[in-house]
Amino acid sequence: MRKTSRNLSARHRLMNKAVFLLALFAGVAIAADGPPLGHTMTPVSPPLKAPEFILQDMDDAAHRLSDFHGKVVMLNFWATWCPPCRREMPSMERLYNKYRDRGLVIVAVNQWEDPDLVFEFTGQLSIAPTFPILFDRESRIAEQYKVKGLPTTYLLDREGKIRYRAIGGREFDHPAVEALIEALL
Amino acid sequence: MDIKHNIVRRVFGIALVWGCASCVTVACADQAVRQSIDPENGLKSWSYEGEGLSIELVQVPPDFIRASYSARGLPAQLIETVARRCVFGTIVRNLADRPLSYRVADWRYVNEKGERLPIKTKSEWLAEWHGMGVRFSWSILADEPTFEAGDWLQGFTTMAEPHGSLLSLTVVWSIEGTRYEKNFPQLECAPPPDE
Repeated sequence: MRKTSRNLSARHRLMNKAVFLLALFAGVAIAADGPPLGHTMTPVSPPLKAPEFILQDMDDAAHRLSDFHGKVVMLNFWATWCPPCRREMPSMERLYNKYRDRGLVIVAVNQWEDPDLVFEFTGQLSIAPTFPILFDRESRIAEQYKVKGLPTTYLLDREGKIRYRAIGGREFDHPAVEALIEALL
Repeated sequence: MDIKHNIVRRVFGIALVWGCASCVTVACADQAVRQSIDPENGLKSWSYEGEGLSIELVQVPPDFIRASYSARGLPAQLIETVARRCVFGTIVRNLADRPLSYRVADWRYVNEKGERLPIKTKSEWLAEWHGMGVRFSWSILADEPTFEAGDWLQGFTTMAEPHGSLLSLTVVWSIEGTRYEKNFPQLECAPPPDE
């Protein structure tokens, strides 16, 4: 396991946690509860070929987008300090659990952050994500996907083409989103 | 700061406090702009919904900027250039059923000296940060997005004004070629850390 092999000092961990809590507080200050999460995704017309990438997960394992060819992929660009990103993540996990056996993959591409900080964050969620979290440490992949802000989510069909896009937080297990996924599966 | 400026600022501040006292979480005299104070942290926010747009501006104290940016491992020089400014967390949402767009470059604010000034855009910030060798691309409000129905984003808007100062901000957006604008007449920058 990556976490057992990772050797952070206790002081570093403590500081990381304190700073993380401050950042969370800042997020709350910025957004309070924020606007209600929506459930619409906009069709991308014509569908565009999703750019290939290779990124590492928390265990330093490399993942390519092409590894998921033949599956429907929800690609979510996010960060822990982004309040709507945090709010939508439990709905992504519920969606993943519902459709993973039918061919849905969810890939959360974290922006800029340290895997240790993200690990601590996921441990605090009411529903911890079981889908892959990858690390785009310099946001180069986000640039390729022309992500303007976080969160931004793309829905890719089995051919690897971008079919839908959502900017801002969503309730992804809403029937409206599920209907889009059902149609792509 | 000269005496005259101090007096103007104080009068402006008293008017604002009086306004706040009378409109916490309810509509102000200007019915379209709502002002709130978060009871948890005392931070003030201003919001507006109309003409397809929802926008909320929330005070962001410099200590929050420092903590949040430090957690990202950003260099102190970069952090201070933002933390020294007047910063509002800004949440923008498209309430229309058609695409909505805005350009932060079109927005203007008027400071306590009466100067009408532009807001430093995300593109300008990123050019500066990239020049420092930092590729961090987040936290500043997207400067030229087009929002489809239901899309929304948040980020910082930054003005080169002192903490605690007052300003009015005019926000501009468009829906299918029709231009709209809304003025937020009495925004108050987050107070400095020692207040």
